[in-house]
Amino acid sequence: MATISVKNLSHAYGSVKAVNDFSFEVDRGISYALVGPDGAGKTTIIRALCNLLTPDAGEIQLGGIDVATDFDKVKKKLGYMPQTFSLYPDLSVEENLTFYGGIYGVTGARYVEKRNTLYEFSRLKPFADRRARDLSGGMKQKLALSCALIHDPELLILDEPTTGVDPLSRRQFWDILTEFKKQGVTIIVSTPYMDEVARTDRACFVFRGGKLAEGTPEELTRLYQGEIYYVDRLPTTPLLDKLNLIEHVVARRFGTGLHLYLDMGQHPGDIATEITQAGLSVEDLMSVTPDLEDSFIQLMQGQQ
Amino acid sequence: MLRSLLGMIRKEFLQVSRDRNLLLIIFAMPLIQLLVLGYAINTEVKLIDLDVYDFDRSALSREFISSMRAGDYFVLHEGDESLFALAERFESGDGEMALVIPNDFSRRLTLGRDVTLGLIADGSNANSAAVGLGYAAQMAREFSQEVTGMKPPVEVRSQVLYNPEMESIYFMIPGIIATLLTMITVMITSMAIVREKENGTLEQLMVTPISGAVLLLGKLIPFAIMGLFEMFLALAFGVIWFGVPFAGSPLLLLALSTLYLFTTLGIGLFFSTVTSTQQQAMFFAWFFSVFAILTSGFFTPIANMPHWVQYITYLNPMRYFVSIVRGIMMKASGLIDLQTNIVALVIFGVVIFTIAALRFHKRTA
Repeated sequence: MATISVKNLSHAYGSVKAVNDFSFEVDRGISYALVGPDGAGKTTIIRALCNLLTPDAGEIQLGGIDVATDFDKVKKKLGYMPQTFSLYPDLSVEENLTFYGGIYGVTGARYVEKRNTLYEFSRLKPFADRRARDLSGGMKQKLALSCALIHDPELLILDEPTTGVDPLSRRQFWDILTEFKKQGVTIIVSTPYMDEVARTDRACFVFRGGKLAEGTPEELTRLYQGEIYYVDRLPTTPLLDKLNLIEHVVARRFGTGLHLYLDMGQHPGDIATEITQAGLSVEDLMSVTPDLEDSFIQLMQGQQ
Repeated sequence: MLRSLLGMIRKEFLQVSRDRNLLLIIFAMPLIQLLVLGYAINTEVKLIDLDVYDFDRSALSREFISSMRAGDYFVLHEGDESLFALAERFESGDGEMALVIPNDFSRRLTLGRDVTLGLIADGSNANSAAVGLGYAAQMAREFSQEVTGMKPPVEVRSQVLYNPEMESIYFMIPGIIATLLTMITVMITSMAIVREKENGTLEQLMVTPISGAVLLLGKLIPFAIMGLFEMFLALAFGVIWFGVPFAGSPLLLLALSTLYLFTTLGIGLFFSTVTSTQQQAMFFAWFFSVFAILTSGFFTPIANMPHWVQYITYLNPMRYFVSIVRGIMMKASGLIDLQTNIVALVIFGVVIFTIAALRFHKRTA
């Protein structure tokens, strides 16, 4: 399976357009993230990729094979992990692995070897006999990932695999993904978390069923237009209100301080008077490098 | 292909073995049904309470009354002197049957004239009322023969075949076996498939290379095996505990039960395609089972049903299976005796199973 190509994908649930004329391509051996808030259309795209829904329009090819007509031909090379935990809760960790291995014809010595490798990564071995329903959220996700990887897929498709999982487990989860990517697995993952995007090769901002931007995490970050400053001052409501009155400036709380977002072409020197009137001085402003989230929010607001 | 099928079957049995409630249903249901139905459903009627209002009070009337005591059919109670008490007894639910002997009973009989007796029964228990009236009429006939010394010109000599003692349990066990096989397979099959939907595992399976046929067989074979096991359990219990005779070929019963399974598994499969929660599936299975059991001839003979209901019973596959089980167990029926029933089951099996499998396939492919 060389490349994944999605062309002009559109799908609606009744009158609600979930995905609208969406296109993207993913090269072999790459990890690709679909990033966006809930309801952006990520799951619809993923489900269409896995032939779990027939889109209203559009063409999806996995490794040159048309999903709509020849999905059976790619099944063996595909690993899929849905958004909700979809293993057998009444079976143990090991039994789930055995079952999925069996479906893909991974049995005997090959299964044992594969299982041991996966146990090594997932650290699930001590829990081999535990029922899946009794696992913690993070362990459940690692088991689901292991089941999706048991047959050495070339393409791994994951739908919000770390939603609701604690930060440590999330990191472990991504360590496993990175390991398998190194071995040549192409990965498509949807996520609402910006920090996870930084761990992928390419990403696409998804919003309201459309594509806001696409590129490497660095490229996407650089899309931010304007400047951001941090002010270490208690973000009281009167202070924020005063700052927000200044033209081309948006002030928001940031932890115990606040962030000032200056529109493109604006510099602190240009608004020195207004800043002083609000009770701050230009020297208080510390420049901040915009991150992915800043870039995404700006693009999103541009759409609204 | 075969390996993934075996994997599916193994998984299904593992899941059943983990489900305590399901295990309880599978093992306890046949035993409880057999015990409860075997003992409680008794179509033999004995020891009916009979209130006697004797207005004749003659030697002859007393002789007639004492003849009613024979054979444990009636328990006699001396009635009051007034018929007002009679109405009261029935209204309060204490009265089951009443016999009224008019005051000219012996006079008319000795004169060789006809006599009319009054028999009153509580029809709210239709079965025992009908049987009781029959007994009483029979006894009255015998008594009048004795008195007049005249034999009626037409005499009936009856002989009951296959179940000479008319033991109702012999008749019930085949019905219970058919009920169990129907309920268990329809209910468990539909619920087990819907559970995969609820868990999201069905969707997960659809992304794997498992073929539709393997998925289908992997879900159905385990429940076919469980259904047959269930049947065996009920059968063994019936034969050993209740001493029900098994006249025919067990192998033929097994073969025809397997044929019947195409229908019940097909119905279970169909229900799983029209429901999305186990509760809904259970409701459908329950509704079907009640309809199937009531119109199968299990409790009430089909011939006793109103005509339009009799036509409906032709649409009930269980009806044919009950006939088959009864035929094989009680009458040692063979293939030829049962051919109509077999043909019906083949048609039901092919039609229902095909529709269900196509529907299932459309939803999973």
